Amino acid sequence: MGTFEHQPPVTLTDPAADDWTQGFWDAAAEGRLAVTRCSSCGTFRLPPGRFCRACGSQEVTYETLPGTGTVFTCTVVRQPLSAQDAAGFEEYVPAVIDADGAPGARFVSAVVDCAPDDVAPGMKVRVVWDRVSDALSLPYWTPE
Amino acid sequence: MSLKDEAAVVGVAVARAEGADAQLAMPDLAIVAANAALADAGLERADVQGFCSPSGVCDHGALASQMGVPEVSFSATLTSGSGGGAGALALAAAAISGGFADVVVTLSRYESAPRSGGTGPNALLRPPPGAAASAYGLSGGPGPDGALSAPAALRSYGAAAALTANAYLHRYGISREHVGRWVVQARANAGEKLSLDDYLAAPLVIDPFSELDAAPGIATSYVAAVVTANVERARDLDQPLVVIAGAATGGSPINGAPWQGPAELVASSGHRDVAADVYGMAGASASDIDVALLADDFSPWVLMQLEDYGFCGVGEGGTFVADGRAVVGGTVAVNTHGGNITDAFARGVTHIDEAVRQLRGTATNQVPDASTALVTGDPGTMPLSAVIMRRA
Repeated sequence: MGTFEHQPPVTLTDPAADDWTQGFWDAAAEGRLAVTRCSSCGTFRLPPGRFCRACGSQEVTYETLPGTGTVFTCTVVRQPLSAQDAAGFEEYVPAVIDADGAPGARFVSAVVDCAPDDVAPGMKVRVVWDRVSDALSLPYWTPE
Repeated sequence: MSLKDEAAVVGVAVARAEGADAQLAMPDLAIVAANAALADAGLERADVQGFCSPSGVCDHGALASQMGVPEVSFSATLTSGSGGGAGALALAAAAISGGFADVVVTLSRYESAPRSGGTGPNALLRPPPGAAASAYGLSGGPGPDGALSAPAALRSYGAAAALTANAYLHRYGISREHVGRWVVQARANAGEKLSLDDYLAAPLVIDPFSELDAAPGIATSYVAAVVTANVERARDLDQPLVVIAGAATGGSPINGAPWQGPAELVASSGHRDVAADVYGMAGASASDIDVALLADDFSPWVLMQLEDYGFCGVGEGGTFVADGRAVVGGTVAVNTHGGNITDAFARGVTHIDEAVRQLRGTATNQVPDASTALVTGDPGTMPLSAVIMRRA
């Protein structure tokens, strides 16, 4: 049903971007993985929030990352969790990813194009993009 | 200065409503429970001066008005949807210690919400019928931050909890058999028979959870009422004196940024700070606890809290349970009533009630001569909470 095998049933069409997340989506549309970084103290932060948790600054820059990472934790959704997911349901693998180049920042996404039982913490992964529209690309991860 | 030994639990009751009555409008069921707990204490409605509860239980003004309480001098609820009854009881003890009130009723509830949609019954593993895919703010909104985690399609509290549970289980090499031994024990405590083979055969819904690993949604509504009183006043009442020796709420608010922060903290129950605080106030340690009523929306939470409350080392929760140390007659008796996973997602509704029964010596699965009990609130969102009660 999705671009990838075992792609989660995601229906997001509008990321409701604000000044702190727009940079992520702008980079995503260009196929770049970017992360919020405090302009004042350099701390990476996810989710972007409106304040740096380390120093309180509201100023951010977006730093482009290499797009590789490591699975920190994951799960397998074995059954549709809601009726809207039942048609054509495919097992999917929500995962939390430690992104290379951004220590302390973890992305919450899913591992795709891989047998669910093969995904485990510690697995090396790289980002892949599902181009939903010209303005919106969603990041997933797949084994390197 | 602290609230140590200033307040006593003098009355408890759990009111249940089933079938058509399960949707009994609040505050009706709360009034039934509160009146029963007052009767247990030997107190009257006119003695009540305050109300405490976790968030969203009921409006204390409507409750006091319909219950016929003449004047209220303290009213407070915990923030966040979690935290459980232990934290609300901490508020009551604080109110009494701080001189706001001499008698406070703490209420906690489980509202029956049988699940529909044909995808199974478990309330925690699946979102409520009609809920947006954005439930729990983790699945694409609402809001800009939630959109960044939309690709995970986390639909439920259970899906989010599974990510935390797997971080813990993987980090310490804890197997499904270890967790299963706890579930089998919890069922036995509740008087139910479940074999480890049956546990392992149950189909997974969200790894590592089958239906047996999460508190089920059931067609019974509960309200638990706990009456606390100034310890001097409590001495004049009929029930054995059970004092609140320590209480703590709070914890590290990493839950505002799920799975961020130090790996060891993310892969824990999050209770370590609360444990240090509650033990510090009570002047107690794990070896003093006879019975532990641990919040257990999900089965691994029990193993994680056994570690974070110091009953065993970090990463040893699985073997502690498998070695039979978490039972009556073991190192510490845990969830002697079975807990939420054998009953309902009840915010610890029955945990405080069971702790008090154990300390009075009237529990069904009684720990011989139990004198000190620990009750914890749910891991999950800040504030976490814990209370230590002692038979004086």
